[in-house]
Amino acid sequence: MNKEQQFSEEFINAFVDDELTPDEKAQAYARLGDDVLLNRQVCELRKVRDLVSLAYRHVPAPACSTSAIAVGHKCSTAIAAGLALVVGGLGGWFLNQASHVPDNAVVAQVAPAAEDPAKVLFHVSEGNPEHLKTVLDEVENLMKFYRQTQQKARVEVITNGGGLSLLMAGISPYAERIQRMQKEYNDLTFVACQNTIERIQQELGLQAKLLPGVVVIDSGVAQIMRRQNQGWAYIQV
Amino acid sequence: MKKFLSLVLMSVLSLGGLGAAYAENYGKQKVAYHINVDDEKTLKAAMGNIQNHINAVGKENIDMRVVMHGPGLALLQMANKNPDMQDKVANLKRQGVHFNVCANTLKGKKINYKTDLYDTTEQDIVPSGVAEIAHLQSQGFSYVKP
Repeated sequence: MNKEQQFSEEFINAFVDDELTPDEKAQAYARLGDDVLLNRQVCELRKVRDLVSLAYRHVPAPACSTSAIAVGHKCSTAIAAGLALVVGGLGGWFLNQASHVPDNAVVAQVAPAAEDPAKVLFHVSEGNPEHLKTVLDEVENLMKFYRQTQQKARVEVITNGGGLSLLMAGISPYAERIQRMQKEYNDLTFVACQNTIERIQQELGLQAKLLPGVVVIDSGVAQIMRRQNQGWAYIQV
Repeated sequence: MKKFLSLVLMSVLSLGGLGAAYAENYGKQKVAYHINVDDEKTLKAAMGNIQNHINAVGKENIDMRVVMHGPGLALLQMANKNPDMQDKVANLKRQGVHFNVCANTLKGKKINYKTDLYDTTEQDIVPSGVAEIAHLQSQGFSYVKP
């Protein structure tokens, strides 16, 4: 695909939903590195997808809404609110009861299916080179561990604040190593925070150029929260 | 009037909810503490955090794992030599806290857990500290980095 060509919407959606082949993904990452508009688009799509999945996590039982509507119009708001509280409270009580079933049952419920990939995010917010080396060592050790034990895994390295220097072209002491790791592990993504990029621009007048293949998201902190809501493990290094 | 009554109803209901939540305290907790630094001050503070955490939740209500890797193994190296640190670790162990050590680090730094680390047996060794922390979180453990 040449530079002038646009990715189709379908392609970008498949990228966001992680449905591309490794080759296609590499193409997308290569373009994301220097295409601000594409970055924004991906960012927006991710946000929508995450909001949708978040919203569906907490859909109330249908009983709540029907009982609230059935109450007629006159004093509907107050009573409906009261009822919603009762229903919600009862729901909460039942949920609470459910969580008190014997321990072994809970364990069985929590244990992930064998094919479930491990999902791990590393949060990097500090930029001294010694520390960044430790970060890469730890990420690489983990990737190796999952490979050796034949576990599927998705790993995201999210940088913000000083941690962004890990991924800045011309500044990162480990550009080559990162490129090698990206090639070696398809399921490893390096992520940069747009807020930090903008702050660097405003405060230092620097145009932050990122290493190839780095994905930009709106906010590092927001991404961390989204990922945790999606069941990702958090590791601060 | 109806509005007033329903307001009263609502506040009573929500107060009831609050009371119930408070009476239940923190319930059962599963927590993983992540240790990968070697400065004594942070490590001592971490031991203090863990003790306070147990005090707040009750030792019978908590499944607590301290996972060490990289420089973090210094905690048990110190406990091997320094009686004050040893007391702290021993005290937490008596309350059921598990101290888990990363096998990668043992290998990489050529540390002999039998002689270099305080009160560590084979059962305390995990293949990878970071993978262990990720795994624990997938099993419902909360993550704390002191």
